[in-house]
Amino acid sequence: MPVQRIVLRLRAALRRRTADRELDEEIRFHLEREQEKNVSRGMSDADAWRRAYVSFGGVQQVREAHREVRGVPWLTDLSGDGRVALRTLARRPALAVAAVITLALGIGANTAIFSAVDAAILRPLPFPAPDRLVMLGENNPEMNWHMESVAGANYLDWKEQVGAFQDIAAYTSGTGHLTLTGAGDPQLLTTEAVTGNFFAVLGGRARLGRVFTDDETWDTTHATVVLSDRAWRSHFGADPAVVGRTIHLDGRLTRVIGVMAPGFTFPSPTVDVWYTQGWDRASRTQVWFRRAHWLRAIARLEPGVSVDQANAQFQLVVRRLQQQYPATNRQMGAGMVPLHTYLVGDTRTALFVLLAASGLLLLIACANVGNLMLVHANGRAPEVALRLALGAGPWRLTRQVLTESLVLSSLGGAAGFALAWLGVRAIALLAPAHTLPDAGVHVDWSVLAYTLAITMACGVAFGIAPALWSARRDPGDAIKEGGRGPHEGHRMRRWGEALAIAEIALALMLSSGAGLLVRSLWRLAHVPPGFDPHGVLAVGLELPQARYDTTPKISAFDHALIARTRAINGVTDAAIVSHLPLTGTEWTSSFAIAGRPPGEFGSEVAHREVGPDYFRAMREPLLAGRTFNSTDRDGSQRVVLINDVVARRFFPGQNPIGQRLTFDKVPDSSSVWRTIVGVVGSEHQISLDAEPRIEIFSPQEQDPSGDIFLLVRTTGDPMSLVPQVRAVLHEIDPEQAIVEAQTLDDVVTTSMARARFLTTLLFVLAIVGLALAVVGVYGVMAQLAQRRTHEMGIRLALGASTGAVRWLIVRHALTMLVPGLAIGIGGALLTTQALRSVLYHVAPADPATFVVVPLALALSALVASWLPAAHASRADPAQALRVE
Amino acid sequence: MPAASPSADVLRGTLDLLILKTLTLEPMHGWGISQRIEQMSKGVLDVNQGSLYPALQRLEQRGWIGSDWRTTTNNRRAKYYRLTATGRRALGDETASWRRYVSTVELILGTA
Repeated sequence: MPVQRIVLRLRAALRRRTADRELDEEIRFHLEREQEKNVSRGMSDADAWRRAYVSFGGVQQVREAHREVRGVPWLTDLSGDGRVALRTLARRPALAVAAVITLALGIGANTAIFSAVDAAILRPLPFPAPDRLVMLGENNPEMNWHMESVAGANYLDWKEQVGAFQDIAAYTSGTGHLTLTGAGDPQLLTTEAVTGNFFAVLGGRARLGRVFTDDETWDTTHATVVLSDRAWRSHFGADPAVVGRTIHLDGRLTRVIGVMAPGFTFPSPTVDVWYTQGWDRASRTQVWFRRAHWLRAIARLEPGVSVDQANAQFQLVVRRLQQQYPATNRQMGAGMVPLHTYLVGDTRTALFVLLAASGLLLLIACANVGNLMLVHANGRAPEVALRLALGAGPWRLTRQVLTESLVLSSLGGAAGFALAWLGVRAIALLAPAHTLPDAGVHVDWSVLAYTLAITMACGVAFGIAPALWSARRDPGDAIKEGGRGPHEGHRMRRWGEALAIAEIALALMLSSGAGLLVRSLWRLAHVPPGFDPHGVLAVGLELPQARYDTTPKISAFDHALIARTRAINGVTDAAIVSHLPLTGTEWTSSFAIAGRPPGEFGSEVAHREVGPDYFRAMREPLLAGRTFNSTDRDGSQRVVLINDVVARRFFPGQNPIGQRLTFDKVPDSSSVWRTIVGVVGSEHQISLDAEPRIEIFSPQEQDPSGDIFLLVRTTGDPMSLVPQVRAVLHEIDPEQAIVEAQTLDDVVTTSMARARFLTTLLFVLAIVGLALAVVGVYGVMAQLAQRRTHEMGIRLALGASTGAVRWLIVRHALTMLVPGLAIGIGGALLTTQALRSVLYHVAPADPATFVVVPLALALSALVASWLPAAHASRADPAQALRVE
Repeated sequence: MPAASPSADVLRGTLDLLILKTLTLEPMHGWGISQRIEQMSKGVLDVNQGSLYPALQRLEQRGWIGSDWRTTTNNRRAKYYRLTATGRRALGDETASWRRYVSTVELILGTA
């Protein structure tokens, strides 16, 4: 393609040459004949030649006119205009560079941010008819549930009874792991348990073999699996014969029935295999099947049914179930949300804040380009006036000016593209896991073109047009005044100042928002998490139920693991916990306290199972009683620890030690009672910005769980212990793989990833905006200082001090700065309200932010105006007087 | 030369017409056309000889005239222009409209 284009270009250029040459030959022929004629009339050779020339008229004009007629004058003039434009811009390199940088920053930042927003929010889901998919979830006002996981029995009733849904699929909330053995080292596969219709509802197709059928929801678990494309490639060498083969998963024989197409990775990009829920048909009538909530349910709407209609039908069924099963469903409501909305979730706020911020930046860039163009046009006003007076057509001049903008915007666009390319990569690196789609973020060409067009249109509309317009009003006047009639000059100065004021105001709004977020992140980073994360390695393990099916087996494994890990050189402590704090996962349960009315508390309590030394390893304080010890075994008295929050909320002014509680909402004869033996400090379970919740700890030995984290405290680098821990694990159980290994410091950092992502990007946008505004102020002030050089020369000659002269300019800057800051503070107070939901312990009208940010802006703007003032005042008075 | 020479705009339309008229006789090169026009207008129309060439280019682009390089009688290369069929029809139309224009102006001048 490009080769072809080059050939075409060359041919056009050659043709133009030919046409010019032919015309020259015609003209030469004409002149020679005319000369001969004149000679034959008795003139001398020289006279005859001169005479021929005179009657011909200007040869050059004829050439130009001929070219104009000849065609595509647009193209031929464009290259001429382009050359002139480059020359014009080269004469003012500072201005051209400033304009290109402004365009690059404004366009680059906007394109990068918009590309990310597009990828994360705007792009449709990779399923057929994705707008017909809705996420269903259960709501329970009593337990403060909103769109929570669904009970199996409720899911089945919805599936059978709501006619507005074509079908409903479900999958287990949260991925699991299975160990693949039989081919070298044990390998851990990420798994997802789904209903048989899962792929059919979402519209996922197998690239090899088949997907599950609806009936396979029942009695089939782990008998068959479908592989993801990723797993097929990384674990099975992309072998097409894998379909139908039997593999070992957690020691069980499982048949591979299909491999999914590469694009299908729902619900997690890391999923390796899907297997079926494999429910026992008998469980449908059992209470636990309606009490346990572990499913995420996705419905596909019947064709022609609206979301509202479907929801109305859905609510009818939900209410019927409430009456039918009061024991479990009395307060159980349900809701539905478009799948896309559900999946985008919290990312939306952050990305919209960024989108708004980059919009502000675009406005600043527009004002800045406008201002620079104005300065530029102002500088060439004498030339424009002269050309107008000499009879240049207004269209020709406009075209010249447009070409200049075109050249500038091409340069700016190219630089902007490079920046956007880098920006998109930076965003992808900074973004918290799973907020951006796997397919990645790409520079969006349409956005690039769009922002470029907007910025340049602003440049033309705010800068060049007024200048041209004022120059054209009265060419005579314009020439007399050196291109600046007193009236027009004044008007244009006002214009430039107005643009600078707007820039200051916009930059203030942008940087106030960034300032608030920085303060918020700082506060967040200084929240004590409730434990000491430094120097702790956390290793995730999942013991397969098939091999670890009894409490003694799990206990034996735990004991061996702790004992051998402690023996590793440099390890100061080791402990076991069922899940880590600050990772967004927690198990909750109803509970009741002995001797108090049941159901008094409403809310649920978080619960975790911990090994004996957990609190010592985490450096958490014991506030009362004792922690667990070796006497808290399977079969001994059941004991629990409560956190500080439970103690304060439920036992104010009392001693909780010795009190008993149970994980049943309404205790009955089958309830298991546990005695409180101690009170410990409170961890932030969900995130640093969420207050610690009520939490109860049980000993791992009394409530053994196969899903555990091994915590290893060391004096050295925690990650360096991983090979040794792996070796220990191999000694105890060669078939056991590590699910994940990370430091607790990383866990804390990751928990702030979203806040840090938003803050970093907004901070960068604000710095760019600030820089552009300062450049804008500098441009106006430099222009002003130049214009007043003459006046300053006179003042200096009359004995004014340099300082006094500089003050003149700076005072002028203040007339822009003060209204700019006032408007900006007003605007910022309004816009930062939108940040309320993402700020942690910082008010949207935080006084410190609203003092520091305007001060910083004012200071930079004053420096920007001081420089040209200082430059102008250093000029030799005699020299200055000669200007103009 | 008469005191009032025709303004440039009138001249441009006229020039096209005159070129077409000139070429009805035979194909000619640029200089020949300029000589013929000068001759026909008896020097009244002060045609800038150079302005002939853009006009020729314009007419050629419209398809009213064609051109090719030939050798002149005294063995020099020159570009010869000839009237095309379209050009011949256009000349008829242009002549008619010119006559209408002239008679209208005459009429106005006569009644004023």
